[in-house]
Amino acid sequence: MSSTPSGEEGQAPPAVELRGITKRFPGVVANHDINISVAPGTVHAIVGENGAGKSTLMKTLYGMHRPDEGTIHVKGREVRFSSPSDAIKNGIGMVHQHFMLADNLTVLENVVLGAERLHGIGNRAAARIRDLSGQYGLGVDPDRLMEDLGVGDRQRVEILKVLYRGARTIILDEPTAVLVPQEVDELFDNLRELKREGLTVIFISHKLDEVLSVADEITVIRRGTTVATADPSTTTARELATLMVGGELPVPELRESTVTDRTVLSLDGVTVHSGDGRAVIDGVTLDIHEGEIVGIAGVEGNGQSELIEAIMGMRSVASGRIHLGDDDITGWHTLKIREAGVGYIPEDRHRHGVLLESSLWENRILGHQTKPPSVRGPWIDKAGARADAERIVAEYDVRTPNIDVIADALSGGNQQKFIIGREMSGDPRFLVAAHPTRGVDVGAQSAIWEQLREARAAGLAVLLISADLDELIGMSDTLHVILRGRLVAQADPTSVTPEQLGSAMTGAGLHGDEGTDITEGDSGDDTADRNGGGA
Amino acid sequence: MSETTRAGASRSPFPALLIALLGVLVTVALDMALLWWAALIIGVVLAFAAVVLVDRRMPEVGRAGAAGTKEEGTTLHRTLVVPTALVLSVVSGLLSAWFLDLSLIEPVAAAVGAFVGSAVAFLLYRRLSAMLALSFAAVFAAGIIAIAVTALVLLLSGIAPGATFARMMEYGTRPNSLVQIINDGTTYYLAAVAVAIGFKMKLFNIGVDGQYRLAALMAAAVGGHFVLPPVLSQIVMIVVAVAVGGAWAGIAGYLKVARGVSEVISTIMLNAVATGITAYLLNTNRLAVEISTNNIGTPPLPEGSWVPGIPAGFLGSEREIFGLVLLAIGVGVGYAVMLNRTRFGFELRATGQSQSAAEASGVNVKKMVFLSMLFSGMVAGLVGMPQLLGSSHYYALDFPTGIGFIGIAIALLGRNHPVGIAFAALFWAFLNQASGILPFDGIPQEIAVIAQATIVLTVVVVYEVVHRWGRRYQQQQIGKELGTTVAGPVETETTVPAGTASDSGDAPSGDDTPGEAGTRGGEAK
Repeated sequence: MSSTPSGEEGQAPPAVELRGITKRFPGVVANHDINISVAPGTVHAIVGENGAGKSTLMKTLYGMHRPDEGTIHVKGREVRFSSPSDAIKNGIGMVHQHFMLADNLTVLENVVLGAERLHGIGNRAAARIRDLSGQYGLGVDPDRLMEDLGVGDRQRVEILKVLYRGARTIILDEPTAVLVPQEVDELFDNLRELKREGLTVIFISHKLDEVLSVADEITVIRRGTTVATADPSTTTARELATLMVGGELPVPELRESTVTDRTVLSLDGVTVHSGDGRAVIDGVTLDIHEGEIVGIAGVEGNGQSELIEAIMGMRSVASGRIHLGDDDITGWHTLKIREAGVGYIPEDRHRHGVLLESSLWENRILGHQTKPPSVRGPWIDKAGARADAERIVAEYDVRTPNIDVIADALSGGNQQKFIIGREMSGDPRFLVAAHPTRGVDVGAQSAIWEQLREARAAGLAVLLISADLDELIGMSDTLHVILRGRLVAQADPTSVTPEQLGSAMTGAGLHGDEGTDITEGDSGDDTADRNGGGA
Repeated sequence: MSETTRAGASRSPFPALLIALLGVLVTVALDMALLWWAALIIGVVLAFAAVVLVDRRMPEVGRAGAAGTKEEGTTLHRTLVVPTALVLSVVSGLLSAWFLDLSLIEPVAAAVGAFVGSAVAFLLYRRLSAMLALSFAAVFAAGIIAIAVTALVLLLSGIAPGATFARMMEYGTRPNSLVQIINDGTTYYLAAVAVAIGFKMKLFNIGVDGQYRLAALMAAAVGGHFVLPPVLSQIVMIVVAVAVGGAWAGIAGYLKVARGVSEVISTIMLNAVATGITAYLLNTNRLAVEISTNNIGTPPLPEGSWVPGIPAGFLGSEREIFGLVLLAIGVGVGYAVMLNRTRFGFELRATGQSQSAAEASGVNVKKMVFLSMLFSGMVAGLVGMPQLLGSSHYYALDFPTGIGFIGIAIALLGRNHPVGIAFAALFWAFLNQASGILPFDGIPQEIAVIAQATIVLTVVVVYEVVHRWGRRYQQQQIGKELGTTVAGPVETETTVPAGTASDSGDAPSGDDTPGEAGTRGGEAK
């Protein structure tokens, strides 16, 4: 392991060195004896699956909390951070996964916000931003309005913000999660530029091929501790995966086709308007059959949420019809649609899926509050709801001591498993699954995929929306691409690559696939992108 | 786990009886030598110790708290749950003995009190969950802080706090004071339940004040002008009051649903409108008649339209408790059942916790907003009834006002819980009543208002702090229990930001406004 006592043999001490870092939350060890040495002028990747302790570690390094044991050294000097501003003073900056930018301000205003003392807020600051942008090849114009920028540009503004504050070491927390493959390549070019200029980048990810392509050194974290340091030139993704999870990574895939010709859900020219009258869903026509999983690929904010909400009756449809089986469900109330046999795994489980402060058995009732076993007439059937909650916990392997704990006490993956169990109960005909495996660990992920496969085999029709292109390609029978509220392309999941899908998602066309090329232009700064940043 | 709990519960009567007997015997024996309360405290403490010993010997009896985690032996359990259970059992023993002492002879009262205390000790040691204990501890802590602040204010004003508190204690527990406390508490309870229905939905019905005044005026006018046969008359008046209160709150509900008007604004304004309407109608040309030389009001109700009081002989008082205290109890039971047992109550709580989740689950949020506002107003309409039908028998210029604002403070103090509100209402009434003696000693009566305001603020703040801490603690406990030393908690760590974000979105707004309301309640006084 790279815990050689500082870098005496090299001429430069490590840009950042973490020695024996342990962080306990009362009763729990989140990080345990972590040793990482990051050489200056390199891209150092830290990989581990969801929940391995990467974020806790980076929060320690960025001064958001203090380690219980161990020391942090910057350029060979021991430092103690009590807040992120201490970290910035020592040249460590962080770009968070979720951007912290104000849409209605310009790039300049966003960058100087909170750092007005450095170069003022006027021309001097603008000049500095242009300098930095030119020096590192970021291509950021200080006068553009933030809401006109796409996701990739926003990320570059975030990086610039950190540089503007004088950071020499930049932590990027899952930077590629919000990007399509092409944007990822651009980001990596930026990172190489930063490296060339002598900056150090710490890159957190769980996507192994990306890590292998950009990193100079890789540290693997498993169960809160550093298990290995790998050299990307001699390591394969498979080896990394084994180090990461202590086994094989699950692969999303479907077995033999179970698609039938019985249509369950059919959308016919569905158009949905936003509050200001813009069409956020524009003439979507789609059929989903029994035993079929239809995937929708798209950059976040291109109408996926609105499509789901329209189907679920949470948003009114401006024109077009939605049929469930033989019923025209256009304009039906959410409750009636749910009663008709539609399950809903929401994209944001905390906002739409659970009552965080209620117990699991009460959460069992949510969304099914008119159906047995949870309810008898106007009365809550406590015994029935409890029994069925027990069943879900057992069948879907929800790790919980019992069904009286509040939902908030469970980890995200277990909350998600509970939601899926709940939505699968009562034998739905049709399931809306939005990001079903987002933020869950590897074990839960493969369990969720297996459940979707089983339900599909039993004849369930599924609308799958995901940001994980591998999941979409692996789990879909049919794959559509959504762009600015329109279904612009249909791809064959057996042959399409993530790169092809990525270019279709950004409107560049789906090359070499069924000839369903896209007719729209390829302007990058569409209005839809701006929702992606805020999401 | 629940199986073992059930088994433990079914096995409990025998040892419980033994332990209670032990407590009673010790108390009776010591009663010969010591003051009754000292004897009782020792008796109950011994009983509690016996419970602990017995429990140690039968470790197989599982115990599930609300959290359901194994709490036995954890630090929290040792340092918090056990002491809280002990204090609660002693207090309940003392209270019941004191209460019984009013009508029974002292040794018997002490013995029965000891029995109650020991039984409670047995129950609580087994069943008190960490979360409930935390709530009690929070209330204790808040109470101590409030007393300290009040004492400080007294000290700074040059008044001896100890003597003042003793005087209030003495006066507040006189039989006539007790009757007054129960009667005031009845009114406050109804007002607080009305507010709590809104609070459960995160709706702020500040208009309870206007709703109950208008409702009481209309009911009194109907009762005074149309002479109906007994029983029917009372029913008609109550129905009128409920209808008027509901309609008045319904306006705010409709405005909120149809036009998006904040219910805070509309109810405040409707209060002012209600004041204007009452002033307009309460005129000798319209609904009112002259009652005395400088008071006008609705025609007094015929005696057949009154609700007879309950003689308070068992408290040693000549006065009567409002008959409508039974109505208040009924409303409390109805509120509890509605909230916890019905689909409507579930949807109400779901909407209050997360409007977006409720919507995604098919709850018609607009309908829920309107209905809960309507129900809140209907209960508010009842607020004036105990006073009108039980005591004043007409609505005049001197009809009590401002109870709606007190209701807000009490709902906060009682955490919207049907039982919690009952204690809070009685406590509030106690402070009001007990401070009545102070002017005779030259001590400003406003001391009670300071105490009330402080306690609302401290309870709201302390409770929230304790609640958050408890939630974190629970998460960690679960992480530990599941043995996923790393994956569990860290996962929580990564998913929590969204949770806390939504939390800090709701919670502070929920916190700040109650704080203001608390002061408002104080000011209104």
